[in-house]
Amino acid sequence: MTRSRLVVLSSLIVVGVGVVGALGALYLDPARAAVGPLPAEGLALPGDTQFVMGFDVHRFVASPFYQRFGKDRQGQGRPPGFTELEEKTGLNPERDVDRIVFAGRAADKGPEGGVVLVSGSFDRTKLSRAIETEGKGVTYRSHEGTTMYLFREGQGARSGAVAFLDDDTLVLGPRASVEATLTNHAGGKVPMRSNAALVALLESVKPGSTFWAVGDQSVLSRLPLSVPGASGQGSITLPPVKSVIVTGDLDPLVAVELTGEAVDNKAAQNLADMVRGLVAMASLQASQKPELKDLASAVSVTTDATRVHVNVRVPYELIDSLSGKRPVAAIGGPENR
Amino acid sequence: MAARDTSKPVPFASAARGVFDLALEGMVWSGRTVVMAGLLALPVVLAIVYRLVLAKYPAARLSPLDLYGRLVVFFYLRFALPLTALFYATALIADEVEGKTLTYLLTRPIRRESILAGKFAAYVVTTLTLALPAVVVTFFTLMTVSGRANLGGAVPDLLRDLGVAALALLAYGALFTLLGVFLKRPVIPGLLFIFVWELFLPSFPGYVPRVTLTAYLRSLVRHRPAQEGVSEIFAQVLPTALCLEVLVGAVVVGLGASAWIFSTREYVMDQ
Repeated sequence: MTRSRLVVLSSLIVVGVGVVGALGALYLDPARAAVGPLPAEGLALPGDTQFVMGFDVHRFVASPFYQRFGKDRQGQGRPPGFTELEEKTGLNPERDVDRIVFAGRAADKGPEGGVVLVSGSFDRTKLSRAIETEGKGVTYRSHEGTTMYLFREGQGARSGAVAFLDDDTLVLGPRASVEATLTNHAGGKVPMRSNAALVALLESVKPGSTFWAVGDQSVLSRLPLSVPGASGQGSITLPPVKSVIVTGDLDPLVAVELTGEAVDNKAAQNLADMVRGLVAMASLQASQKPELKDLASAVSVTTDATRVHVNVRVPYELIDSLSGKRPVAAIGGPENR
Repeated sequence: MAARDTSKPVPFASAARGVFDLALEGMVWSGRTVVMAGLLALPVVLAIVYRLVLAKYPAARLSPLDLYGRLVVFFYLRFALPLTALFYATALIADEVEGKTLTYLLTRPIRRESILAGKFAAYVVTTLTLALPAVVVTFFTLMTVSGRANLGGAVPDLLRDLGVAALALLAYGALFTLLGVFLKRPVIPGLLFIFVWELFLPSFPGYVPRVTLTAYLRSLVRHRPAQEGVSEIFAQVLPTALCLEVLVGAVVVGLGASAWIFSTREYVMDQ
């Protein structure tokens, strides 16, 4: 074997071992394989989840939006309550929380509805002690080997629970939902994978978004299909929407991309026309409020077969002019952009 | 053993294989390879530094996956892979011309297309040999910072990144091979292509990014690191099928045009 072929073979071995190792990690640990922006832990959420929303806390905190609107206007540089929270629990949300995921279920699930997953770096001991000592009426019990803290236990719909799914993930919500999530996680079950419609939507979410949300037909069917007309007389019928995906970023401007899938091409066109009509109405108001002209031009609507894409890109200067007040950070902080 | 009919050229596959063997030996053991291996291994060094130093500081808000994504998008796809392709692919024929050794190849009873095919195959093997292990080692160095916890979920990204890296080397390689057979001094135009055309046009609105290769390559990977200015405002993600069609088309057109120019061009060696 020549020297060059030896080099090629060595490289091939490195790549081969790497790929086999990676596939092994994927195969042996499928529960950790995330779906789109949903972290691996999120796969333990109930399979009948109808919509999921996510929030990248680090991107949010680093964004001009947070610098302008999120911080304490009294000059402390942090939102009110964060300092006290950190003193009691050791948790600094700006620093320690990575992402927040909210999964919603059908309204008829009542108190068993939504679950919130908070991922980050937690001082588990300090946080547990804070929950035990600071919370009133907090009880705790073990579920699947995990301590679950119960709030207002025995008050039916008002009772809630919080538990560590693992060292880096907190699960909060109604007791039944938290218990179901803990059971799934402990048993290595991934019921969310069985929700093919929602998984497909999650996989199409733009990676790296600061916030995102997906919802399937079951949740959208509960929305009202008609809205009152502009003059107050009659109503406008909204075309039915099968699914919706929302992604957004806050840096360097507020950019929201909304993709709705209609039942057919005609419905998609109707939906797009309806949004364009609303934008046009905003433009007509521009003579009375010039900022609206800029807002109208910040929205673009396109259709792609049965899909309607609505892109909204709003500069912070426009938000300032619409709100009619100057935010603290905009006056001249170093983080002002 | 039957003697070869010397009135006919050596069969294409045998000729290309012979040229491949010769070219591979010359490419792998060259100063160019040492420089390119060093360049492509820089992310590995950065990943080790991150692992040993930066990851220990809570202030380092860049997660291992974020850093890996940035390295893939900003370093490999935007910079290192096009540069590697430029320095190897433009030299496939230009080196032979400059070293006045092309005559020895052209006087052999082999078709010119087989020379180009053998050399391009050697280019592909050499660059993949340098690039893919660097991506794999960078990935594992970063993704195992906190144990195996984040590994499984990122595996699809690794596989996709390896495929896109290979496609980038093929597409840029075909383009720079064309530049190499067409121009006498192809490096400066190639550098302008990488650092002007490929760098700025993807930031334009509308259909302008579609005239670059990088827009298609970056649409194929899932990493979307935040950018600043117009790059972020007009960032586009093109459909996967379109990206694959365009990139494969670029490879076919680039190699086809290179083969046609090389097989018809009259090369005059300076004395």
